[in-house]
Amino acid sequence: MPTRAIKAIFFTRFHYEKGSRVLHQVPEGSITPSSSPSALSTPLIPFSSITSYLIPTQQFCDRLLTFCTNHYRVIGYPVCIREGKYSRNEFIFNFAVVIEEGVGDWVAYGEVVRKMGKLLRGLEEQGGFLSREEVGMGIWDDDEDKGWQKAVAREVGWDQGPVGGGSKVYALCEMILEDLNNYCECMIPIDDSNTINFKLFPTHPPPPPIHPYQVPLLTISLSSLTSPISSDLTLIRIIPFINGIHSVSHIAQLADTDISLTRKAIQHLVYYGCVLLLDIFSFGAVYAPTAEIGGFVTDKGVGEECARYVRVPRVELGRGSGGIQIGSGSEKSRDERSSLSSEPQRNDITSTATAMEFDSYARRGEEEDCENISHETLIGLYTSLRQGLTLKSWVLENLDLLAGIDVRRLITFGVIKGFLYRVHRYAISTASSLPPPPLPPTSLLGPNAPTNPSNNNINVKNHDSDTATLRPLTHKPSMASTTFVPRDNGVRESGLKHHDKERLDSLLTEERDALPLVRFLDGMHCFDEMCTELGLGEKAVEEKIKRAGEVAFLWR
Amino acid sequence: MSLPLPPASNLHAILLVTKSRSLGPRLVFHYPPLSPSAAALASNKAPAWFGNQTSTGSLDDSHSSSSDWGSSTENEGADDDIEAGSRTSGGRGSGRTSASHRDREKHRPSAGGAWGRQDSIDEEDADLDDDGGRKTNGSRKNQGGDYDWNTVLGFKVDALEKMLCPANRSFNKRRFELGVENIVFVGAPMFVREDGLWKKARRKKDKRTLEEKQQAENALANLHIRHPDEKVVHRREGSGSTRTGSFVYPEGFEPGYGHGMISGAPSGAVSEAGSDTRSNSTTDNGPDMTMFNVVFVLNPPALEYQLRVKYMYDNVTRKYAKALKHEQARFQYVWKESKKIINIKQRAKDNGDSLSMAWHEIINTSPLAKSIAIMFDAISNDKIAHIHFDATFNTPFQIPQPDSTPYLPNALEPQMPGLWLTTSNVIIEEDNDAPVAQHSALLLLEDTETLVKELEGDAKGNTTAIAFYLRNIVPTKSLQKISIKHNILAQHIEYIASHLVYWRRARLIPPLHPRDTYILSPNADMGALQAAIPAYATRFPTSPPLSKMLSMLSGKPRPYRTFIPTNEHREAYMDILAWLMRGGWVTQLRTFAWVRVTAEIKAEVALELEREAAIKKAEEVRRQEMSDNDSLTESMFSGTDKRSSFLSANRERERDRPGTPLRRNRRERERERELDDEQMDASTILSPRTAYRGSPARPASDAGSTSSNRTTIPLPSVPTTRPISPSQAQVQAKPHRPSPLHLKAASPSRAQNTRSPTNAHKLHLNTHSLSPSLPSPPTTPQTYTPSLVSSPQKASSLEARWLEKIGQTFQIQHPHIADTNSATNPDPAIHDAVVGVGLGEEITENWPILLKYFDGKHALEDIAAREGIKRKRVWGWITAVREAGWLVVVRHW
Repeated sequence: MPTRAIKAIFFTRFHYEKGSRVLHQVPEGSITPSSSPSALSTPLIPFSSITSYLIPTQQFCDRLLTFCTNHYRVIGYPVCIREGKYSRNEFIFNFAVVIEEGVGDWVAYGEVVRKMGKLLRGLEEQGGFLSREEVGMGIWDDDEDKGWQKAVAREVGWDQGPVGGGSKVYALCEMILEDLNNYCECMIPIDDSNTINFKLFPTHPPPPPIHPYQVPLLTISLSSLTSPISSDLTLIRIIPFINGIHSVSHIAQLADTDISLTRKAIQHLVYYGCVLLLDIFSFGAVYAPTAEIGGFVTDKGVGEECARYVRVPRVELGRGSGGIQIGSGSEKSRDERSSLSSEPQRNDITSTATAMEFDSYARRGEEEDCENISHETLIGLYTSLRQGLTLKSWVLENLDLLAGIDVRRLITFGVIKGFLYRVHRYAISTASSLPPPPLPPTSLLGPNAPTNPSNNNINVKNHDSDTATLRPLTHKPSMASTTFVPRDNGVRESGLKHHDKERLDSLLTEERDALPLVRFLDGMHCFDEMCTELGLGEKAVEEKIKRAGEVAFLWR
Repeated sequence: MSLPLPPASNLHAILLVTKSRSLGPRLVFHYPPLSPSAAALASNKAPAWFGNQTSTGSLDDSHSSSSDWGSSTENEGADDDIEAGSRTSGGRGSGRTSASHRDREKHRPSAGGAWGRQDSIDEEDADLDDDGGRKTNGSRKNQGGDYDWNTVLGFKVDALEKMLCPANRSFNKRRFELGVENIVFVGAPMFVREDGLWKKARRKKDKRTLEEKQQAENALANLHIRHPDEKVVHRREGSGSTRTGSFVYPEGFEPGYGHGMISGAPSGAVSEAGSDTRSNSTTDNGPDMTMFNVVFVLNPPALEYQLRVKYMYDNVTRKYAKALKHEQARFQYVWKESKKIINIKQRAKDNGDSLSMAWHEIINTSPLAKSIAIMFDAISNDKIAHIHFDATFNTPFQIPQPDSTPYLPNALEPQMPGLWLTTSNVIIEEDNDAPVAQHSALLLLEDTETLVKELEGDAKGNTTAIAFYLRNIVPTKSLQKISIKHNILAQHIEYIASHLVYWRRARLIPPLHPRDTYILSPNADMGALQAAIPAYATRFPTSPPLSKMLSMLSGKPRPYRTFIPTNEHREAYMDILAWLMRGGWVTQLRTFAWVRVTAEIKAEVALELEREAAIKKAEEVRRQEMSDNDSLTESMFSGTDKRSSFLSANRERERDRPGTPLRRNRRERERERELDDEQMDASTILSPRTAYRGSPARPASDAGSTSSNRTTIPLPSVPTTRPISPSQAQVQAKPHRPSPLHLKAASPSRAQNTRSPTNAHKLHLNTHSLSPSLPSPPTTPQTYTPSLVSSPQKASSLEARWLEKIGQTFQIQHPHIADTNSATNPDPAIHDAVVGVGLGEEITENWPILLKYFDGKHALEDIAAREGIKRKRVWGWITAVREAGWLVVVRHW
């Protein structure tokens, strides 16, 4: 929210004889000239030319009306109360706010004005909050038609409030302007039963859909907040597992939550900007610089930030000191990394995968002997990443430069800052006959969704492969850790001849494997997605795909 | 918003309102005839997360997710209300529905949810129904809609008329912006002048000359290619054969377009007619119509509100209103047409005709109404509206669309798959000189023959010439080369190019070259792949299939020529490349570089500077001795001591000594001396330093001193311009040029900072304060750290020295450095790299030219074309420089 964006607040009333008139304005003189010593010398906006928008025809009353004039945006909510007690049976007013025309997110102010308009309407309808004050202050009394308001008051039978305490509406305008400008919110008690509560909510863009293979990373430490952030049980359960390493589906398994609820919860976090989305880190992945790498190269500040972020703290984790850690396979390395960074989580009950480990170790004073990673080294490392080069080979190429650097953090830093991007791998079927319209992936979601019509009359032994296919999507955390060997089911079975059985098996599995795979082969599903959905490693998926038919692999 | 917005006009209706003495405010015409009600527009928002589904391949997934998400959270609205405040619920709710919603056609607002409770509008409408008995309700409107003459957009016509007629002339030619809930009426009211005219009277003489000039310029304007979407095509009658040398802007591209129509007519015929108007309008007894306002009704999403409204106003509303005003000034066009329309409407209304029938008639009778209809159909579909009012005046309108972006959106940002990803279109502020267009090639977005055919179907004359041009446009040759090869005037080809680009028929690209590297674009629209495969197959039946091509291009980046099997295939493969480029499938991988200054160079330069200072000192002493002024001599002696400590201060980057007045005085005096020296020693100028001259960051005195190698003294002000210390670097280093391309604020250490904001900072400070202040300036390279020169064009004097020094290394061996420092040299190849003598000299010679491109913003691929040097030579130099370890090279698009 821009600071002090509200330039003026004013209250306009329509009088059946005197026309539209600004009764209250803060600051004085901002809308109509005022004799007050503190008044602005010239009004912000030409009141006379905009009265038709402040007090419009009934068609446009009770709607949020905005219009621009003189480089200001006037946001009003004209209210027309039709009741017999008023002269001409109408009571029309408008509580409007003036902000600068260029304020991007003016919708928040619109919402405040709308709420205020409705609230004032309510107050007026309940107890004549507005009309009574006008009578009391004799606002329209400057001419001879003094009797109008009084007559109203008398008819309705209100007491005349004490005059001289100043106008309540004016005070409201003043308080709202100051509070919203200074604190973006305000709470003003009006009477026993009514309180004004406003808050300027910034407008957020709608969050993107969250995919199971994405990796959330918290940008703020939610667990350090004193009050629980939400009553959403899923959210509370998953937050400890959000660490910038686990994918959404992995989180769902670890937290034992429903995958769709997990996705939704993370979407909420994304909406509020608490979470960034990364990709699954693995050493088989390919990263390459984007056009923004120039910003990193020329900005030393970012370089230092990066150096702080990627430095491996000197910690004894039981598996060697903090040199470079190169996992051979993605899975293994991921485990390693996760245990590394989850160590402090155990201690501190925090889940941010940010620089906090570093922090805690720095506090212990183990930091000093860590040599500084120079900006140049980092530039060299980042610029040597390129398309077609897996992280593994890149690490091997740059082994000596990587001393004391956490590779995952190095990559993550680049992705977060936007100067690296993950080159995803896709497969497209090159077979001339295109596959039938792909099934939605969630056909696998139900625990017993038959992937194959012949499923029912087949013996039980395919259960293994079946559940394996479903494994990442069922929500039992225990299953996640079991390693899955796709083709070992025949051994345990008896009854059929071994040979036949195996053939049948392989046929079935082939068919079974191929079918769900086909839908991934349109070039729109990256390997991360396939691996997550199938619960297999990249190699296994690749093999399966190759068996499924002619495919071409794309890196994009 | 750093990303370009996807094209989405959010246009829902166009209204024409007039105010006249006889009829008062009057809604003359609206289009479409059956306008959606405001409430429907407000509630019918399809807030969408656009694009991502395609790129992550979840067209199907979105269905699934919507079903499963929906099923699990059916009472979502209620939950949200409990959980969060009023408005946020809207936003989140919309986010959820967005997963299932994917209407790419028209409603693609990206942030709809923020408009608060939509139900409030419905509620109000219900109120209105009770109150006024109007049929504003959606369902009722549908029943009686076609016969509902009294409401437009769900508002009573008379109320709307009043609202859309601004009261006084203070709104004249200003943006009229009226928001009602979340729909906005954008107009450009045009008022009649006080004297009853619609435009200023001009003297006749001016007009004559102007007319002639315009006519000459219009000669080229005949080149006109029809857009398939445009309904009306008009070619200006004119002498198409007279080619003038002057460059003519395509329509809509005139500088100050729009103003031209008021103050100076765009065509001769028009300005001539202007005089008729004057006589016309003056004969009338004051004009009847006093104002007209063309109002465009939009419902932009909250987050894009300002931009969308601005685009519409700047590109369409204002221009259209000005065009209408111009026509009005000529022969009361607007008012005549308005009266016509009003009459037809009245008749139809009296007869009880349906709206659509009446509208059909109106559009067929009134060119004005027709133009509004065309405008609406085109703009609301994000196309180009080609409007013609009469035989002499026609003009296109469009909201320009981005044709490329340097910025790859991340998972959280709106996606625009298929948009060409490149930095080649990013304007670099430093190059204001040569027009880039002539070094670019033109990539036709349609096949040449299709374009030619379109042209022939439409054209009346000289199509052969244009067809000739079109057929000679190849994406592998720059416009400059084409114009030379085919003997076409450069202006003509550039005109055609700009015209084609304006009409979205072509794109300017760096010329395709087999030696360049192309990769599968990370922004390629994979969702379009299934459709593209057969299209590709019919187009290139004998070539490898699309999937194979893309697969090849997506591996390890290689020059494109390595994919071409034989020389005979070359042309076919370049065609394929052009096709892939066209669809945004591939993008060029371009090379960017910065100069890396090693510690050795820095030490060497420092040493040199010191030596120079010493020499200068000696010289000064000598000079002082010759002079009689003893006191001055004395002060100079003490001054020299201090000066040497300046040098040390220079090297201790952290220190910043304020110059005392005494010192400053001396400096001035020294400078005078330097100037003398320069005159004396003009022959000792080391090298052409012009490349670094006049950089604004440098103190003016440097310019004087640098040219003489013997008198250069690092002034105390130098350290402030050196981007060594990080704080200075931040000041000096310009934000990376493509403005969307600055690093995102999101920082992984944010959490850390929030928790202990001072911790990291303290550490940082510690490293600085703890680092022992260097006692004296040792000149060994160990005390220097290698660094990059971020922009050679804006180098400080010290950086310039370094660069110059580097430039010399290609020629001369430096035994001194090589001997002493080979052990510490991280890259021993640097000085030992045996650069061929000839090559080395060449590089030294062209070093200043090359340096211009070593700023990380210019692609090295562009050097050859821009500098007019053979490609091979340039790459030879670059490779040599790179192998010598002077460059930090990165490749991206």
